[in-house]
Amino acid sequence: MPLDVEEAKKTILDFCESKSKSKSKFYFNDFTKLFPEAKAREVKKILTALVNEEKIVFWSSGSTTMYGLAGAGKQAAAEGE
Amino acid sequence: MAKHKTPLLDQLESGPWPSFVSDIKQEAESRAKNEKGLDYQIPADCPEDLLGVLELSFSDGETHWKHGGIVGVFGYGGGVIGRYCDQPEQFPGVAHFHTIRVAQPAGKFYTTKFLRDICDLWELRGSGLTNMHGATGDIVLLGTQTPQLEEIFFELTHNLNNDLGGSGSNLRTPAACMGKSRCEYACYDSQELCYNLTQEYQDELHRPAFPYKFKFKFDACPNGCVAAIARSDLSFLGTWRDNIRVDQEAVAAYVGGEIAPNAGAHAGRDWGKFDIVKEVVDLCPSKAISYEDGKLAINDKECVRCMHCINTMPRALRIGEDTGCSILCGAKAPILDGPQMGSLLVPFIEVNKDDDYQAIKDVVEGVWDWWMEEGKNRERIGETMKRLGFAALAKAAGVPIDARQVQEPRHNPYIFWKAEEVEGGWERSIDDFRKRHQR
Amino acid sequence: MAFISSGYNPEKPMENRITDIGPQHFTEFLQPVIKKNFGKWLYHEILEPGILKHVAESGDAVYTVRCGTARLMTVSHIREICDIADEWCDGYLRFTTRNNIEFMLEDEGKAKDLKKFLNSQKFPAGSLKFPVGGTGAGVTNIVHTQGWVHCHTPATDASGTVKATMDAVFDQFTDMKLPAPVRISMACCLNMCGAVHCSDIAILGIHRKPPIIDHKYLDNLCEIPLAVAACPTGAVRPSKVEVDGETYKTVAIKEERCMFCGNCYTMCPSLPLADKEGDGIALMVGGKVSNRMSKPAFSKVVVPFIPNNPPRWPEMTDVITRILNAYSEGANKYERLGDWATRIGWERFFEVCDLEFTEHLIDDFRDPAYYTWRQTTQFKW
Repeated sequence: MPLDVEEAKKTILDFCESKSKSKSKFYFNDFTKLFPEAKAREVKKILTALVNEEKIVFWSSGSTTMYGLAGAGKQAAAEGE
Repeated sequence: MAKHKTPLLDQLESGPWPSFVSDIKQEAESRAKNEKGLDYQIPADCPEDLLGVLELSFSDGETHWKHGGIVGVFGYGGGVIGRYCDQPEQFPGVAHFHTIRVAQPAGKFYTTKFLRDICDLWELRGSGLTNMHGATGDIVLLGTQTPQLEEIFFELTHNLNNDLGGSGSNLRTPAACMGKSRCEYACYDSQELCYNLTQEYQDELHRPAFPYKFKFKFDACPNGCVAAIARSDLSFLGTWRDNIRVDQEAVAAYVGGEIAPNAGAHAGRDWGKFDIVKEVVDLCPSKAISYEDGKLAINDKECVRCMHCINTMPRALRIGEDTGCSILCGAKAPILDGPQMGSLLVPFIEVNKDDDYQAIKDVVEGVWDWWMEEGKNRERIGETMKRLGFAALAKAAGVPIDARQVQEPRHNPYIFWKAEEVEGGWERSIDDFRKRHQR
Repeated sequence: MAFISSGYNPEKPMENRITDIGPQHFTEFLQPVIKKNFGKWLYHEILEPGILKHVAESGDAVYTVRCGTARLMTVSHIREICDIADEWCDGYLRFTTRNNIEFMLEDEGKAKDLKKFLNSQKFPAGSLKFPVGGTGAGVTNIVHTQGWVHCHTPATDASGTVKATMDAVFDQFTDMKLPAPVRISMACCLNMCGAVHCSDIAILGIHRKPPIIDHKYLDNLCEIPLAVAACPTGAVRPSKVEVDGETYKTVAIKEERCMFCGNCYTMCPSLPLADKEGDGIALMVGGKVSNRMSKPAFSKVVVPFIPNNPPRWPEMTDVITRILNAYSEGANKYERLGDWATRIGWERFFEVCDLEFTEHLIDDFRDPAYYTWRQTTQFKW
């Protein structure tokens, strides 16, 4: 069963919102867990679409990359960017 | 007049080896003069401030850089590393000083046109400082500010026809040795395979979806000039299955002292006359070589293709003609459980451009699917392999089990048999058992 | 400064966007003689230090002049390299994996002239711009990381230690007097983004003090779950601390578990660990990646700590020179540093290199440690 794109986007955004009190950055596999039936590649397509819509942004430590809601998180402000 | 005094760094201007301090000073001077009348898009004196902050580290023994997260170009999860100086008032030119990784061409051959274009771009929009190259292989552009990132990416893709490299939990920029371009040892076209897989997996390179970083490196022979076996999650090492080609006349020329052994690599010292028995026959790790009556004989069935005899007599011995590559999996630096070398996954695979390297891609994708499913966050595939076992990896990669995959068989008999492997399965009746044994 | 647009429109980032194109195909950059003889090379020889000759089936020969560089280089320097390539090599050149530059010519005499020219080029303060060498049985250029120039977790500098080391072993770069090639690598913390773990000699920056916790600011700057998850040994846990009568959400660190890797600092800027007295260098030796004769091997720690002593780290270069000299005297032709040490025995290695063996050199980290202890009565007095 292929994912319903719009529904999957909402699931991801809702998940990020629901966690926003404790954390703003998520590993890729936090999202694959939301869709146990789907292949990782499908989930990635949804995330890429959300990135292109400017709703989700990447966060990188250089060695590790995470995903988060655009504008959320603590470090962005701290860096004055 | 230098902006900051750098008495410690100045001491690195003497001595024969090229001084990066002198080089940065010349860049600082060139930007101060600005003979071309450029409208520098980041502070013109950033090289001076870089020397300043480095001098501070040299005197206080601590770094003054912070790293940071949300910089990058739109839609990419890698290629840019955010950097900030922790003394921005003292060194405003490098207060924001991000790194950009630029994908290098396979084998690092260049035209001056391309390099000059990079220089022009980076002089205007960045610090003018680079690394040629980073440890993974990218061209590293060292130091620019956030508003320039998209502009640099736009010019790089539109004018230089070149993309960014990888960083983060991505496929990192793959790297190859110079291969067939200028090396007679190349068992396969390492550059073409590197280029092909780089293009095929652009999405994996730019949009992170792996548990952690993943590296490909391509060495066209077992000498390993790009250190694939030590440094890449999947290493592709050239090898062959048939016989080493022997030119007996050239062997005689080595023995007679007409040709210097090892291509002349030992010319700086008098090691005495070349002794083929001592220097080749006796050093063969599998004792597959003999030399009798002026003839060199190789028992190719016993040869482990270590390259020593070929390296020592390159004009007399050549690699075989039935060539391809071995694939090893799981190399990484020590964090956490200790360093790992790649483990031999596929002893031999044809490197076939005609079918677009399909057999190799099948292995790659099998390995990735498994790791993406099973790997923990920040776990390299070498660690996943150790946790779940080599056999699980081989199965996921669709690779047949082969005695060549181990140095020796296991030391413990704790074999986790599965029910379906055992005759009659595991379902047993206690009543039947009791018919044969009393309580 | 006026902002100069490249043509990028920030309102519409996807407009005219080119993505996913990778690097250019390498054949765009091959000079004609290389392209013509691609895959048809017969053999090579090293004519003299820094000059290689490759001969193809066609009878064509190409002469490569190899010179070292500091990998940290400026656009001014790259342009000078381009000027040389334009004048001597029709506008082509290549870089090696180990940060050397290779200029390729079709005429032997010109190659030798180019070597002379390159060796005569100096920076105003005296160092050479393009020293020719790095071939055969000698020391070639050092691969290294960023260090204090640009990294947030280094325990030492990279460019500085490399410059100091290459000055100290310069003769081994320009000559070919050693028993076999010696590959030196440098990484400025134990995350080893330079992957130095398989080098003949590895210079490694190490920290020795656990992070300082900036309790008052930690919760504002960091996401505590990420800092906790970043620790490879599970030494970081969430905690609360009272400072000046106020309670702060923060972390606690089990200091005896800290392996000083800096991963928590990467995730959380409120956990800095750099420290002048704590930081310094460990030296490792005996690794290799080639399959020649012996198997690829890991480097072993032979000096657990040398304090940072910039700008020239004399204690470090002294040890490196001592190891190289002992190896040069003791090893057989073709024998790599690690194979020599294994043959004579590591107990003998410490003796001939005049290095102290201490308890810190006995592995005590998890399973692999056992395999480094001695399970035999065979050893040397």
